[in-house]
Amino acid sequence: MSTETITRGIGRARRGVGNGGAGRPVQFKPSNSNRMPGHRSRSTTLLLFALPSLILLVLLNVYPVGYAGVQSARNGDLLSAGDFVGGQNYLTVLQQPVFWHAALFTLIFTLVGVFGSWAIGLALALLLRTRIPANGLFRVLLLLPWVVPIVVSATAWNWLVATPQSPLPVIANFFGLGNPLFLADPTLAQILVCVYKVWISFPFMMMMMTSALASVDTNVYEASKVDGAGPWQTFRLITLPMISRTTYISWILMTIFCVNDFPTIFLLTGGGPVQSTQTLVVMAYVTVFQNYQTGPGVAIAFLMTLVLVIISVVLYRQIRKVNIE
Amino acid sequence: MPSQNGASFTRRGFFGVAGGVSVAAILAACSPSGAGGGGGGGSSKPLKFWNMPWGGTKFNPTDKKITLAYKPKSGLPAATYQEIQWANFTQTFSSAIASNTGPAVSSGGGTQAFQFAAQGKIAYADHLIKSWESNGLKDDFLDGLLDTMKTDKGYAAVPYNLDVRVAWYNKALMQQAGADVPTTWDEYKAVCAKLKKIGVYGFGLGSGAGSFTGSHIMTAFMINNGGGLFNKKQEPDAVTDENIEAIEFILELVKNGYSDPAAATYTSDNVQAQWKAKRFGYGWDGAGLPAGAVGDVASDLVVADPLTSPSGKKGGLYFPNNIMMYTNTPSQEGSEAFVTYYYKNMKELWTENTGIGLPPLKSIADTDEFKSNANNVKILNDWNPIFKTWAAPGGNGLFANIANTVDGTQPMLNFTQAILGGKTDAKSALTTLQSGIEGLMK
Repeated sequence: MSTETITRGIGRARRGVGNGGAGRPVQFKPSNSNRMPGHRSRSTTLLLFALPSLILLVLLNVYPVGYAGVQSARNGDLLSAGDFVGGQNYLTVLQQPVFWHAALFTLIFTLVGVFGSWAIGLALALLLRTRIPANGLFRVLLLLPWVVPIVVSATAWNWLVATPQSPLPVIANFFGLGNPLFLADPTLAQILVCVYKVWISFPFMMMMMTSALASVDTNVYEASKVDGAGPWQTFRLITLPMISRTTYISWILMTIFCVNDFPTIFLLTGGGPVQSTQTLVVMAYVTVFQNYQTGPGVAIAFLMTLVLVIISVVLYRQIRKVNIE
Repeated sequence: MPSQNGASFTRRGFFGVAGGVSVAAILAACSPSGAGGGGGGGSSKPLKFWNMPWGGTKFNPTDKKITLAYKPKSGLPAATYQEIQWANFTQTFSSAIASNTGPAVSSGGGTQAFQFAAQGKIAYADHLIKSWESNGLKDDFLDGLLDTMKTDKGYAAVPYNLDVRVAWYNKALMQQAGADVPTTWDEYKAVCAKLKKIGVYGFGLGSGAGSFTGSHIMTAFMINNGGGLFNKKQEPDAVTDENIEAIEFILELVKNGYSDPAAATYTSDNVQAQWKAKRFGYGWDGAGLPAGAVGDVASDLVVADPLTSPSGKKGGLYFPNNIMMYTNTPSQEGSEAFVTYYYKNMKELWTENTGIGLPPLKSIADTDEFKSNANNVKILNDWNPIFKTWAAPGGNGLFANIANTVDGTQPMLNFTQAILGGKTDAKSALTTLQSGIEGLMK
């Protein structure tokens, strides 16, 4: 059987479509003529029912965001609003090399965090799908990095690497790797916080992928097996596409988690040494609460939000594309 | 009278109630809460006193007991007690003060009073201190200490406890290395060399996440050499000959391997672990170092002598932590009455060894309980006379810009980590620091 035939067969199996056709359901469109005379009145009633919740929503969400927007256009501090300076804070922030360094590290941190944790999470989810002894126990143990409070795990990681007498430097020294300064060396510190992020995030990905894999119909695998697909073809052409929707959602969530992740970095390195591990959210915090520059700090937060919205929109479109396919 | 039941609860009525609740919620959220501006007279509202965990586990219970034992004169408010954690304390105070729900009297960060004073939130303590002339409290303060609280508009706060940065050594390790306690920078360098021979660091400190001690020590060395960060006009003035010489000296210590190469990212816990592991033989820290997690080494830790710099000067950095009064008080007279009571009765915080910093009052420093700690006595006798504040060399009185420019700010942390990394030179590091501080000035 040729590869093309297998791929075509797998494609059909994945979509749950027989040889006969696309099999898309016919969408039912309600007719406008069915509208009742009291429809408008009913809509108003529903709107009025929702009004108290909408007011609270505005108070709790829109007002703070709007107020933060005002702060980002002023030169105030934590106590006073200050004078209106327009977009000056945004310009100031965008002209700082340290902002672009933080943006670049945020990007690296996010890419490693999202795809590192996804790769490990998916691998473990696939592994745990097989029949291995003490499967449930492994699942619980693997969840621990996610469950343990970050303050505790950050302290534990600090203990593992901070001083030359810490376990990891001692092990590295034993294997002839010298005395690595995991937190004091800027490059090693960057690698360490990324690895730490992957470590605390993979259980979340594992859970997401486990649920996605559970939803894949086993008949699809059997059909592909009949068509002669090997393990790699099955994984690439069946498993990955079938879990793509959950994958995109988990990527969106993990991107938001990574970009907004303050405690991981702040507790482990404080953004140092010399701002080498500073991400945008840490920079925003330091600018507002250590340097008392509210306007520029909030401007950084807004720029972060803008980037997050763009990434989310792109990934959501990808999800819609998957749904259409 | 018609009875009202569920059936007669109309849609119009429901919307009326829902709308009313919503409007009430909006008004509640938008209106300022808490006490309004303080008057001079009496008030039935209690006076809120917020204090920080200045010591160990005994501190706040003892402090609370002292506070709640306050019996105000007729017409003056009683005091309530609230412990405020150090975690995010800036946000805690800022949001409370901004929303008028803050305390009438509090301690807090060492430069907090000056920041809030610049915003018009502080009730100056001039009248209070004047009133202490008659009861002897004013003369009881350590020499020069009250002056650190003086601003152009008056006393922003009252000194409460002293957070100091001093040199410590491990006497057993010094003995093992055959080193004598140094009194000059040159002698100190020789001590570091001897300690290095036994695998011990002589320039022990840290500047990692949440630890600002490293930046304090950098500044202390500048002050030691007659320098510092601000001139008489309270403007940043970091690139001076005195500062360059001081930082070159520190860079020499770092490059000679007298400093732990990972020190730039050591937290306070890491620093204590290094003292405990006998990797630090001589170093720089606060007065409470032996009370930290240093294990058996505590009994070997001794406060060293102040060093004389090449310029022939001595000096160090200290932080006169303070108690401040706010304009938002149920009664200013009540605030002053409470603070007076508190200062007359706070001795227990030191005599009971609660772990608080050094006392601001001579009468407490003269107690047998305080004198029983030789290290504390040495700090007060040998170091206290040479201490200066962040405002050095231009002056000693603190001011608002210190909080947002040098006290735990990013330029200071970057500067310290760069120096401890050893891959810079003094002048360019100080120039970067200068521009960083200038960028934060208001």
